[in-house]
Amino acid sequence: MALAELIGPEVVKVPLAGKTKNEVIRELAQLLLDAGRIPQLEAVYDALLAREALGSTGLELGIAVPHAKTAAVRELTAAIGIAPQGIDFQSIDGQPAKLFFLLLAPPDKSGPHIQALAEIARLAKSPTFLRLLASATSAKEVVALLTEG
Amino acid sequence: MDGPIRRILVYVDGTEGSITAAQYAICLAHHYHAELAALYVVNTRALGDLVKARIFVKAEQEEYQRDLEQDSQRYLNHVRSLARKKGLAIETASTSGSVHQEIKNYVIQNHVDLLVMGELSSVRSRRDELYDDAERSMRSVPCAVLIVKDEERVSALYDALA
Repeated sequence: MALAELIGPEVVKVPLAGKTKNEVIRELAQLLLDAGRIPQLEAVYDALLAREALGSTGLELGIAVPHAKTAAVRELTAAIGIAPQGIDFQSIDGQPAKLFFLLLAPPDKSGPHIQALAEIARLAKSPTFLRLLASATSAKEVVALLTEG
Repeated sequence: MDGPIRRILVYVDGTEGSITAAQYAICLAHHYHAELAALYVVNTRALGDLVKARIFVKAEQEEYQRDLEQDSQRYLNHVRSLARKKGLAIETASTSGSVHQEIKNYVIQNHVDLLVMGELSSVRSRRDELYDDAERSMRSVPCAVLIVKDEERVSALYDALA
């Protein structure tokens, strides 16, 4: 399943208000709750933090990919957030993260989960595309970039 | 079995589209009296890429690989059951590696003359065309490829099969 299929303007937030890693994760989870994509916030938030405890999902080039398997969702579910000011996400290059791809998958959908994460991994290799995405000023712009990119 | 379609392979990846493709492949195999096989590929290539990209930690890679191996058995069992209900024999195989490469290898080694796959994602970005496993498989296999659409119609065809 293409990432673009999972992302609509209702699950994109630009700019994020959170100032810390945990605040950003919670804000994105709240976005999914508000969009009706998850039934409850706390189980999802806990699953994401449990994954972060294994090692930060902050990558290079200002991108972070908080993700988790959780029975709280029945389908692959994603949200995107942009924090132009940058957030300390304990990324591997020590740089602040600006672009956040949050991905949730039910325990029995590992295949589509891996496909979506692999797509994000490919995006993470394109500094130009990431710069374009991080400079987007609206949710619609983010969706258009993902679809047309 | 001397018609245009003698050996059909359906690629099963656990999506609803691939199960629909399996139903259609069963209908085709029945109609053409063709041999039928189903393949699931544990995408260890993607798992390795995710570790390299630091999206996965090692423990996650191992956990997801186990999940995918369990998925492969579950989905192949399901497809086997779909075939048996219609009195058809089906050969199932699970391999691991790069999806398009494994499909291509299977097609060549087993003299498959029709590859049946589930519907491609409806929203495509130009960027994805280079990377999508299904599209790469379509381009790389040496046999004819059939992309199955219209789940409702296929389901009705399958149900109506004696």
